Amino acid sequence: MDDGKVTLGRTAGLYIGAAVLRLSLFTLFPGLPDLLTGRVEISTPVTSFKRLQEGLFLYNHNVSPYDGGVYHQAPLFLPLFSLLPSFATLPIFTFILYIAVDLLSANALFKIANSGEAGSSALFTSPRRDKRWSGPVVAAVFLFNPFTIATCIGRPTSVFTTCAILHAIAKAVAGAPFTAMVALSFAAYLSMYPLLLLPPLLLLAYDRQRLPKGITAKPSGLTFAASHLLVVVGVLSALFGMSYLMTGSWEFLPSTYGIQLTLSDLTPNVGLWWYFFIEMFDSFRSFFLAVFWLHLSAYVGGLTVRIRRQPLAVITLLLGIFTIFKPYPSISDSSLFLALVPLYRHVFPLMRYTFLVAAIILYTVFLGPAFYHLWIYAGSGNANFFYAITLVWGLGLSLLVCDLTFAVLRDEWEVERPEMVGKEIRQI
Amino acid sequence: MPRLLSGALRLRRDPRILKLPPYLSVLCILVGVVWLFLLPLDEYSRRTYISENALLPGQVHTYFGGSDQNVFRAYKHEVNALVDKSNIEVNDKLESIVKGLGLKVGRQNFTYHSAGNVYSGENAYAILKAPRGDATEAIVLVAAWKNVKGELNRNGVALLLTLARYFKRWSLWSKDIVFLVTPDSIAGPQAWVDAYHDAHDSARVDSLPLKSGALQGAIAIDYTQESRFESVHVVYDGVNGQLPNLDLINSVVNIAGGQMGMGVAIQEMWRHNNQYPDRLRTMLRGMLKQGLGLASGPHSSFIPYHVDAVTIQPFGEGWQDEMAMGRVVEGTFRSLNNLLEHLHQSFFFYLLMQRERFVSIGTYLPSAMLVAANFTIMAIALWVKSGHQPSEEVSKAVESKTAEENPRNPAVERDLFLPLGFVTGCQFLSVVPLYLFNHAPETILTPLFTVFAVLNMALPHVLSHFLTRYYTPTAQQYQLIRSFSLLLLGMFLSSLATLNFSLALLVGLLTSPLTFMQPWPQSPVMRTACAVLLNAVAPTAVLVASAAYWQLEIGAILREAAFAWDVYDMYSPVVVWCVWWPAWLAGSVTVLGKPAGRRSRLKAKAT
Repeated sequence: MDDGKVTLGRTAGLYIGAAVLRLSLFTLFPGLPDLLTGRVEISTPVTSFKRLQEGLFLYNHNVSPYDGGVYHQAPLFLPLFSLLPSFATLPIFTFILYIAVDLLSANALFKIANSGEAGSSALFTSPRRDKRWSGPVVAAVFLFNPFTIATCIGRPTSVFTTCAILHAIAKAVAGAPFTAMVALSFAAYLSMYPLLLLPPLLLLAYDRQRLPKGITAKPSGLTFAASHLLVVVGVLSALFGMSYLMTGSWEFLPSTYGIQLTLSDLTPNVGLWWYFFIEMFDSFRSFFLAVFWLHLSAYVGGLTVRIRRQPLAVITLLLGIFTIFKPYPSISDSSLFLALVPLYRHVFPLMRYTFLVAAIILYTVFLGPAFYHLWIYAGSGNANFFYAITLVWGLGLSLLVCDLTFAVLRDEWEVERPEMVGKEIRQI
Repeated sequence: MPRLLSGALRLRRDPRILKLPPYLSVLCILVGVVWLFLLPLDEYSRRTYISENALLPGQVHTYFGGSDQNVFRAYKHEVNALVDKSNIEVNDKLESIVKGLGLKVGRQNFTYHSAGNVYSGENAYAILKAPRGDATEAIVLVAAWKNVKGELNRNGVALLLTLARYFKRWSLWSKDIVFLVTPDSIAGPQAWVDAYHDAHDSARVDSLPLKSGALQGAIAIDYTQESRFESVHVVYDGVNGQLPNLDLINSVVNIAGGQMGMGVAIQEMWRHNNQYPDRLRTMLRGMLKQGLGLASGPHSSFIPYHVDAVTIQPFGEGWQDEMAMGRVVEGTFRSLNNLLEHLHQSFFFYLLMQRERFVSIGTYLPSAMLVAANFTIMAIALWVKSGHQPSEEVSKAVESKTAEENPRNPAVERDLFLPLGFVTGCQFLSVVPLYLFNHAPETILTPLFTVFAVLNMALPHVLSHFLTRYYTPTAQQYQLIRSFSLLLLGMFLSSLATLNFSLALLVGLLTSPLTFMQPWPQSPVMRTACAVLLNAVAPTAVLVASAAYWQLEIGAILREAAFAWDVYDMYSPVVVWCVWWPAWLAGSVTVLGKPAGRRSRLKAKAT
């Protein structure tokens, strides 16, 4: 009992500490939020808070928010932010909303970590599962990650997607597949790409579902998948319908999802797409758009099948891959990926490039803004400078993804082949 | 290929490979320094050339002269009459003169507070609308009432007025020309440029009542000499070590040296024989100025806004008169007037070693990068090393380990928490001196510095005592502290090298001993020697030593740094206190450290 109380107190302290830190950053450095909002590493065309303000202004003046081609975010953000007191006069409410969203995400993460799903799923139990970090530690790593803090202060709307994804996972782990699907539909509605997480999430929910009393046999996988797919379709249709009623036209579809599919806004970001498509001749554009999207979604099937026994690992790895290869990634996406990585504390000893990855990520964190400054402000550099650093950033993250994949697979392999434990692998 | 790979793998397991990094680090530093000294040689530096064809420097006939000399004398009388007048009275008079020429005049107040002092004044400027332009572009002619040394810029202001009258007569200008007179050489231009780009803090600096198009270039005249001069001195260092486009300097050199036949000097090298020692001296002076990042004249404030600018100062005893100086300015303005787009062709990163010799970034950057790389190499080596037990403890470790570890390669878990916490703590602690020295009033700067320097010497001892007393770090943890601190240092310096090469190199060289610092539990002599060496290269000690060398007062240096921080956002203090100082602190604590063995640590925990 005492232990429970201590943990509870500590967790509450952790949340309060994180909230106070964010609130003090908001209030003590009044220039900081706007500075971070303007950074391309944090705000992308599809998540920027500044663009949200623009859309909000148009919406409140009864003009279609998508006029002018600045606002590319989901329509339902508009009534939500209109409910809040105006940002110009009372910014504190916006700050509190973002802090609350961060805490909710942390809470979902806390539940995922405490469930122990990462170490022992329904089909696989890692021999190393005892060495794991508990919920508060994982939540603390997320809450005090500088990327998360910078994201919170910069207020992109991607935090809502992060929160929805984490809740979808948490609900699936807790054996509530219906809620999980609803949460995922929200995430997909807000930024589209989470829809790709559906297959592993379905598997996760299927593995962890709680059977009603009296029923012993699990329903067949196909029925489960079909019924829950219906849930996703239903929720998404409802959300689209509400959006249609609100904006009065289907214009929002091309302006939000269309922009992601066709990459028509080429504002620089930390991803790999923008530079490539700036350089490209228009006749090749649609072909390469298809190739890039195909590449992004190709991982879903392969990973889901290969690591069938650990769906949470698939989700984690996919989030890492999305962070690298999404059309409009930001450090908000990396903060989500880095939030899930500590769940795999038990396979850290199997990873081989932790120091290298940490060093690369640290280097790019400093070199990226420096090169951006040289390009945009000093005028002495050019776009290649910044793109080179985003390539290195992508390299660092993909090393981490590869390394984590390796560690997870090796962990599985050592259970199958106990005689190979501790043997060094060699590439042939 | 497989054989090669397995060979490489075998090499990786070779214990000798772990002995290599310190030598590699030494090699990096040595090569970096030698590289720097090779740069002035003919084989490594290049002759300057004009990249932007539109500039055509020295290709036009300049007509300034003749009766303009009389106009100049008249304006000189007007200026002389204003010598002891207040800033406002001076501007009133200038305004009436320039209005008489038919130009629009604007005035702007500014007030800066720094180190308890107030720097305020009023800028006056006039805009000559281009007869053939559409007011989308402008070039600026600046004359500060007082130059950086505080001398009255009599001839400069008089020449500016004469040129304003002269330029007004010509119909060939395709860009607006702005004539700016500022009360001083640093704060005034800064306030004006900030306000011109709407980047000013309106509490301190007024907005400009009158504006023109995008600034394409600026020339500042610093002409205090009363007698005839021999050569001109081109000052080009901008704020934070940023430099104007090399084409602008080349144009001025070309016009003054080629067309007008006067000498041109840079970096206060009044006599330059174009041999190795002089070239090296010029380059090192340039690097020092760049590294400090201080504003060196009215032109400095323009450069951060991507407006290429230089200051021209006449010097020496010769036969050139004010008209010759005016023709240099005229020629340069005619060149800038030709520009079709912003200066971008030539280099922004270069080191000049003579007025017509330079090295570009591709040639010199490796030297700073090598120095920064030495820290990263050592950091990686220490990380790898910290994963292996020292030999005497290996056998015990192997016994206690389960069979899952490979006995030939005894890897141990790293205890990351203390090292990470310590290095982060050092980084956060660095905010204290940064805040103190930028916000203390001038009167207490010197005593504050003395107190800080003394505390700074004691701080590593206190921290080390605290660490050993409460945490008893192991040798591995000391290795990790060093590793993280060196990694951060290498990272900061390599990022910095792209922004301000010289500063990165200077800090890199001064911190290079940190690479080789380690705890000396057995040898008090080595420990003392290392501690003394580190104290000699501490930021505070270096500041005292350079103040003594250049015979400056510590208080004056700190006041200047605070002024630079408050007025034009110089970031050198951030580098000194938040990059150099924490690395130094972590290094000093490591040297004084007494690592505990694993077993004694366990014992300490048990009791």
